[in-house]
Amino acid sequence: MENYHFDLIVIGAGMSGMTAVITALNQGLRVGIVNTGFGLFVFGSGCIENCQTLHKEAPENFNKAIDLFLENARLAECPFYGSINEIRYLPTIMGGFQAVSFAPFYLWKGNASESIRSAVVGINGVSSFNADYTAERLNYTAKFNDFKTNYVAKEINLSIKPKSVASMLQFANRFDFDSRFYDELQEALKPISREADLIIIPGIFGLRSKFQKIYDFEHELDCNLCELSNIPPSIPGLRLFNVLIAHLRKNGAEFFSGFSVKNLEIKNGHCQTIEVDIPARSLCIDFDSIILATGQFSKSLIGLDFFDVDEWLRPITKSGTVIADNLYAIGDLLRNVGGNDNRHSILTGYRAGMSIVERR
Amino acid sequence: MLCNSINLDNCIKCSDCNAVCPVSIVYPAYPGPKNLGPELERLRLEGISCDTDWIEYCLNCYRCNLVCPNQVDISGMINMAKAHHKKPLIRKMRDFWFSRPWLLGRLLTIMPRLTNLMLNIRPVRLLMSRLLKISSNRIFPIYIDSDINVPIHDVPKSDSVIFFLGCSIRYNQPDLGRKVVLFLQRIGIKSVNIFSGCCGLPALANGDIKEARVRARSNTEYLIKDVLAGSFVVAACTSCGHMLKTCFDGLLDEDSDMKHKVQKIAKSTFDFGEFLMSRSDLFLFDNNISSSNLRIAYHAPCHQISQGIGRPWFHLLKRIPNLQIEDLDAGCCGMSGTFGFKEEKYKISMDIGQRLFDSIRDVNPQMVVTECATCRMQIEHGVKIKTIHPAELLLDLISAKT
Repeated sequence: MENYHFDLIVIGAGMSGMTAVITALNQGLRVGIVNTGFGLFVFGSGCIENCQTLHKEAPENFNKAIDLFLENARLAECPFYGSINEIRYLPTIMGGFQAVSFAPFYLWKGNASESIRSAVVGINGVSSFNADYTAERLNYTAKFNDFKTNYVAKEINLSIKPKSVASMLQFANRFDFDSRFYDELQEALKPISREADLIIIPGIFGLRSKFQKIYDFEHELDCNLCELSNIPPSIPGLRLFNVLIAHLRKNGAEFFSGFSVKNLEIKNGHCQTIEVDIPARSLCIDFDSIILATGQFSKSLIGLDFFDVDEWLRPITKSGTVIADNLYAIGDLLRNVGGNDNRHSILTGYRAGMSIVERR
Repeated sequence: MLCNSINLDNCIKCSDCNAVCPVSIVYPAYPGPKNLGPELERLRLEGISCDTDWIEYCLNCYRCNLVCPNQVDISGMINMAKAHHKKPLIRKMRDFWFSRPWLLGRLLTIMPRLTNLMLNIRPVRLLMSRLLKISSNRIFPIYIDSDINVPIHDVPKSDSVIFFLGCSIRYNQPDLGRKVVLFLQRIGIKSVNIFSGCCGLPALANGDIKEARVRARSNTEYLIKDVLAGSFVVAACTSCGHMLKTCFDGLLDEDSDMKHKVQKIAKSTFDFGEFLMSRSDLFLFDNNISSSNLRIAYHAPCHQISQGIGRPWFHLLKRIPNLQIEDLDAGCCGMSGTFGFKEEKYKISMDIGQRLFDSIRDVNPQMVVTECATCRMQIEHGVKIKTIHPAELLLDLISAKT
């Protein structure tokens, strides 16, 4: 039986895997992705951390990596705002602040250092978010850090479907599919928007909505919005995941989602085939190059020999031997040798993608 | 993906499954796969029944299984819970018939003309809605009494294939079955066996586990001899393929001999598109396809995705010169076999399909292609657009050339 064959296979569809796919597609490669679950998108909202604290040795192509990623996020209709030289302190659901250089448009306006009145909006009946707690913590942390924003807790009432439990997932789904809910949310937020310069609300603006819809919502409300990632699964994170996946698929990436990789065959220092654990029998996929973007929690596919990576991002053993000449590791897999945040994910994803192109 | 206690402990309550469940998305009252699967399973294993009508609302689409980061067999747990679910008499009667499309097919094709006439008369449909809780909004497929008689040519040194027909092709679209056999012959397969049994998936989805076991056993006994002799089983219906590959194992696990047979069959089973992809080196795909100026949209059925075979038909159709094809990538159609026919589930079924319908309207194709018969029914019902199996399109274009 003939196998699938790709120029590049990426295992894992988190931030680093997606960036590698973007880079390779951009260079005209045929790319396949094997992934399960949503990656770390379930925890976050896709912010790119403070770039000024990047390790000194970070290669200069970080600019190119970021540009390419941002361009694709824009094409996927989830634009990011920010710049490498900028730092913003954006609120988190636990009442702290994260220093970021780039953030998706729905979060970017929550800048803590501006002297504005912010309303932290909770929803009556939703147990996973307490506006009073978050506002109190934000005020405390803001004071501690000398930020000027003042936070006030507010609560809104939204209708709940009969017999259901109020959850952010329910509201997000209704935002996607129910135009009446869109209007209801507008009406509920209107009174708050008159008193506040910024509305901070946990993830509610749909799992599939794109820039225009949220922008229109904000525009109609006539008040800036900042959507926090709620407790997992994070609505803004899943939205970013969904739009990026749809964008990559549209650009020719082939997804094998839902099944884990059973085996990675390395022979004579070369990796040729992976076996994906699909029902009934394994799916064998052939490739020229392979990138592991499996994160820090998945089982190791290359065993305990993996010690570090070389300049092309290929895993090497303690003695410096390359494990396989066409095998690359990126993202949180490199937590011991680089860092494990979105900056490094984008950087390593891009670098591995470019390594493959250069070495072809 | 085995439904055992270790598998159950893999559930870390991340709720990713709830985020993708098509029913949860449109119907928030539904407790969701996490609750109905692993959470209640713990209690069920302790002997507490936890029976609830919500169990019936699971589409069996496998999207929860696919998104689970820890490979928990959520659908499998819900399917097993369905078996112990108690229903009121009317729904029980209705689901008895829905579990047995083979029996329904046999009876309805005794006098097909009369059947088709009766099934589509408004008063009859209203009566069925009242007595059997079958939605009067649904149009039944046309029943056709026809054997798939295609002359078999023996091609020396070719592989042998058992074409697993499935009830939908057998009783509603025998013409498609004929085309598939022709297709197989074209690529040099002596398609000797046409097997018209029921795979048992409708029984499993309707909670009739006894019937599902009977089907699984009879299929296994029938298929195993040829499979052991080296035949492949090819299914043009994605749900049949999914059932043969994934579900027999859990149904017939009483003895190791049976388990061995079931696994052997699963290993030899191919979706039709998957089978053709594996044969793409054959002459068929070189210069023998005439071009087409059609603009079509492709919908991937849930049970095609659950087989983990990529998108074989999308790639096969992409080889047609000049054809414009777009993957709709718009989730589940909501029909889920017999689910969409049920009175109390009709609205949910249509609400789930809305995203797909909208996406089809956006793309505005001349026709839609999809492998699953009930997806085709749902799309034609929701958008009023011609929807066919991709094999029909491809074979027509090959026939036009040769």
